Amino acid sequence: MKVAPTMLNFLKRSYSIILLLAGWEAAVRLGFAPPALLPAPSAVLVALVRDLGNSHFLSDLAVTLYRLFTGLIIAIGAGVLIGVGAAESRLGPLLLEPLIRVLAPLPKIVFFPAFLLLLGFGSSSRIMLVVIDAIFPALLAAYFGARAIDEKLIWSARAAGMSNAACQFRVVLPAALPGILTGVRIAIVIGCVVVFLSEMVTPGDGLGDALIRAAREFQTVQMFVPLVTISLLGFILDYAVVRVRKTLVNW
Amino acid sequence: MRALGDRFGSALAPLAVAAGLLVLWQIAALVIRSSYLPPMTEILPMFGALLWSGDIYPDLASSLARLFVGLGIGSALGIPLGLLSGRSRAVENFITPILAAFYPVPKAALMPIVMLWFGAGDLSKVLVIALTVSLPLVYHAQEGARTVEEKLIWSAQAVGCSGFRRLRRVILPAALPEILIGARVAIVIGVIVTITSEMIVRQSGLGNYLFTALDMGQYAMTYAVMLVIAVLGFLLDWIFETVRRRLAYWAPDRREADLAATS
Repeated sequence: MKVAPTMLNFLKRSYSIILLLAGWEAAVRLGFAPPALLPAPSAVLVALVRDLGNSHFLSDLAVTLYRLFTGLIIAIGAGVLIGVGAAESRLGPLLLEPLIRVLAPLPKIVFFPAFLLLLGFGSSSRIMLVVIDAIFPALLAAYFGARAIDEKLIWSARAAGMSNAACQFRVVLPAALPGILTGVRIAIVIGCVVVFLSEMVTPGDGLGDALIRAAREFQTVQMFVPLVTISLLGFILDYAVVRVRKTLVNW
Repeated sequence: MRALGDRFGSALAPLAVAAGLLVLWQIAALVIRSSYLPPMTEILPMFGALLWSGDIYPDLASSLARLFVGLGIGSALGIPLGLLSGRSRAVENFITPILAAFYPVPKAALMPIVMLWFGAGDLSKVLVIALTVSLPLVYHAQEGARTVEEKLIWSAQAVGCSGFRRLRRVILPAALPEILIGARVAIVIGVIVTITSEMIVRQSGLGNYLFTALDMGQYAMTYAVMLVIAVLGFLLDWIFETVRRRLAYWAPDRREADLAATS
């Protein structure tokens, strides 16, 4: 029976959040907070489970997932390639670092109107926003991770007759992997947040739009459902990368 | 002379990059020739006119006011809580799961919900900003308080320094460099959440101004406002970074990767 101790451990580690949810539930049930303004957590959960069988909600979810994953794949792929590539070349400190210093602190969401104008009000503009927002953590992690590699590793690989390209894939990338995965975790959460916000800012479809539609009809429970969905999605994806990191980076 | 040259170079390199980006833009606009992508030769005069006429200042002021009030409230709540949790296991165990659950929530998306409780005015926006910026502040204050050299605390105890005094006179200064790094992240995130909340609930502020220009089809104006916000975000970060270097000149410098964790 290993289940009981793990369960107990879980309760011990997260008792405050359980306490918080219980207090919230009690406040609504005992009439301290009107359910029309603050729905009980149980009501939100019931609505969420019910919506998982609702085709309208599922199509919103599918649209958001499509935008999120397309954007993340582009951002992480391009970020890692550019980061690892620039770390080895002289262009890195000369071009990439000043570029990062100018672009990284900018509030990227202000460029959203430009994407709307150039790419239209469909998915492309939101994917583009995810890309420029999520690329920086991946890029920075890859760049600094690859730069921090012990030079001797590369020298010995090259001395053993490995080509430059092979060296990038078989030596640099694995050595920078722990750092890159940390960057990927940040990129994923930023991607979830940004895709949702982009759907709230301009109407259309997706989970963010579902929140705005519910707000217009004062359907408080239905406002919480998309918000909880996107937050859970971020939480689960983040946790998945933590697990992957543990199995991949076992050294 | 070498050091001077480096300092000069480090200030010039971002300017050169920014200038390069503007030139690239101009070339792209001249090649594409679309009213959706006006050339910089149209956007920059608009940018100047915007600042010269003062038309944008009321919105700029209301955005900045919300940002700074939010940062103030967020610091007043976040920094003490973080310091306390860095020194007390019980507090840390209590807040960690709550922070972890709150971390992936799109904070600006709370606007419509918070507005149900506090109305459509400034209070809702300021609360959402304060809540958002307190997260990095708690995290970095905690990290700073946890890594305070134990000997400092022992000596304070030995001369009879009480718990609260110790927190204020020993732990706070020792954790300051780390707190200031948190504050830098908080400012960057604060600008983002201020603008985004103004885009979602359009009443006033730069986010509202931006989308009003877009809705009215004034594309050169839209891009000029984007430029205003971008310059503002960059300037706030640059000013704070200059102040931070002075305040924490005795602490070892850290690389800038922290900034990646913003949105």
